Amino acid sequence: MTRRPLNVRNLHWGRLRGSNNEGMVALLIGLLAIVVGLSTPSFWSGSTLLNVATNSLVNVVFAMGVLLIMIAGGIDVSFLAIGIFAGYSVIAFTNATGIGASDAVIGFALAAVVGLGLGAINALAVAGLRIPTLIATLGTLAIFRGALLGFVGAQMITTYPPGLSDLSTTYLFTAHGAMETRLSVLIIPSVLICVFVSLLLRYTLIGRGIFAIGGDTESAYRVGFPVFRIKVLVYLIAGLLAGIAGMIHVLQVRMAVPQELVGGELDVIAAVVLGGASVFGGKGSVSGTVLGVILIALIKSSLILLGVPGSWQRAAVGALLLVSVSAQALSGPRRFGRATLAGEPAP
Amino acid sequence: MSQVLRRRMRRMLADPSLVRLAALAALAFVVFALLSPAFFSVINFQSMGFQVAEVGLLSLAVMLSMLTGGIDLSIVSIAAVASVVAAKLFTAVDAASMTGVGALAATAAFIVVGMLAGVACGVLNGTLITRLRISPILATLGTMQLLNGVAVILTGGRAIYGFPSQFLTIGNGHLAGVPVPLLILLAGATLTTVFVNRTGVGLSIKLVGANPIAARYSGLNNDRVLMLTYVASAILASSAGIIIAARSASANADYGASYVLLAIVIVVLGGVNPLGGYGTVTGVVLAAFTLQMVSSGFNQIGLTAFHYLVAQGVILITVIGIDTLSGRFYISRWIASMSPRRSRGRCDPGEGQHQATSQPSGGGPTEPGSERQQQGGGRT
Repeated sequence: MTRRPLNVRNLHWGRLRGSNNEGMVALLIGLLAIVVGLSTPSFWSGSTLLNVATNSLVNVVFAMGVLLIMIAGGIDVSFLAIGIFAGYSVIAFTNATGIGASDAVIGFALAAVVGLGLGAINALAVAGLRIPTLIATLGTLAIFRGALLGFVGAQMITTYPPGLSDLSTTYLFTAHGAMETRLSVLIIPSVLICVFVSLLLRYTLIGRGIFAIGGDTESAYRVGFPVFRIKVLVYLIAGLLAGIAGMIHVLQVRMAVPQELVGGELDVIAAVVLGGASVFGGKGSVSGTVLGVILIALIKSSLILLGVPGSWQRAAVGALLLVSVSAQALSGPRRFGRATLAGEPAP
Repeated sequence: MSQVLRRRMRRMLADPSLVRLAALAALAFVVFALLSPAFFSVINFQSMGFQVAEVGLLSLAVMLSMLTGGIDLSIVSIAAVASVVAAKLFTAVDAASMTGVGALAATAAFIVVGMLAGVACGVLNGTLITRLRISPILATLGTMQLLNGVAVILTGGRAIYGFPSQFLTIGNGHLAGVPVPLLILLAGATLTTVFVNRTGVGLSIKLVGANPIAARYSGLNNDRVLMLTYVASAILASSAGIIIAARSASANADYGASYVLLAIVIVVLGGVNPLGGYGTVTGVVLAAFTLQMVSSGFNQIGLTAFHYLVAQGVILITVIGIDTLSGRFYISRWIASMSPRRSRGRCDPGEGQHQATSQPSGGGPTEPGSERQQQGGGRT
């Protein structure tokens, strides 16, 4: 985290901006809300809030895993494949064996274990075999997706065991309006995970170690951080979070479709980068990432509200990523060195 | 002339990674020929020849950007943009109903325009990477999405039909039994090889990838080299897009999304070092043929596309994993014993040329550190 010098000027604007420019993202969200709200007054309702929350709650958990890896200096593209693998296989398993049919917690635990296992494969490839992260996770993406569709199953599952389907139809709030919008209770695990990751990054030595490794691996090693162990832990935790996120997803949509999710990596990565995380590592925050996810969800629903055809959404997200990364690159210090695959061979 | 050829052959045979790759290709050929009788047939070879060109050209595009130490993930989107632009022009003049010289002229002209659209995308990539200093991964990830979106907007979400038959022969025609796409691939490979090995700019691509700091101090203009790299990569990707459109007789914004991974697997298998500086066109082409044989072979044995996907991932990880592991035990220990301190970049770009395998040198210099890490992270 960058600490700004304490003087009068910075006391006012510096704190608002946030150490990772989270303030800018919040400002963007505010501006976007105003622009859309002016053209579509129905924007200003509880329904919109709940819609955005519903659309973000899965992505924010995925984003937490990506954030951890990005702070450590890597890039992960296999998280969605881990998520859908975990979600689908747990549903299939529960349907087949009846374990966890009555208690959703067991289902989540199973998904976490699956995610942990797949994350271990990532850790092996990146920390063990020292493969550059993008290529390693591209490879594991192929393996996980191919294994899921080829060996576990390619059919969608629509009947859930009672314990899980009850959970997916429990709602927290309801907003009345033109259309009744409900907020699923699944937002609770999402929020808890965000809090957990935030505490991990801020108050534990492991969190400091993750920042240190991302900042400069060699220096972190010399200061005494167990670099290899932390790298492995980062990929394990990211896998676990991805597994839980996948479980939340299949519960939220009430259909387990194994072809889903994969392909939307950029939305999550863009959100994390928007939120201030640097792809070179060493920078990032949970609040920025959450704001980034909200911004992307808001943009997507705004485009719909503004009447922009759906085919523009992809271009819009891509353009937004490029603009935000350019802004980041132009404002930050010049990273002297190569235009390489995330700079370092590992993690 | 034969002197030169003989010298080149000898140099290739002396390169262990190429020999290993050729052996792998031969092995794949034999295995699949044995497993499936239909494999060893002219029809199968022709069909493989038709299919290998698309991903082969895309792999060459990735190779160029990987030689500089970066990566171009947007190749499939560039291919889509090129094909969609050409398709829209064809349908605009209703070229499908044209005949004779007019159709030929239209075909040639619109192909050129499509490729120019691809070049524009390459310029976009290059600008983002050189001017705005965005890391190539993020830049090309962003342009991949953006250009895909642009292609979707241009097509309105549907596939565009309506190509003249002259255009379709590019993707479906023969020339003395050899598929035209295969000829285009070989031509493209030859051009790329000449570009990379015989021109000053091409050589500087490898230099910038091997050690950008030394390249800068040697007087090379890194930015210009990078820009040219991404433009050349876009040209190759656009030609792949044209072939895809010609073969499937339609332009689709989403075709070939799985080609990015396949191209990277081919490039890595072909011996290109992902950290830059080392790679051969021969290796990439050989690897493309090998993976095409695997794909056809899997198909004929009865394995599905998903098994092929797993195979790609496994190949990718094992190839780099083996390189890293074997590198760790030979070259890196030797380097570590010689140089007391490591720098951020690679110490010795020459190593990349002589090594038997494409070894990420990051595994080398940090070797002593990581060995100690294995013992529990405590400093001695």
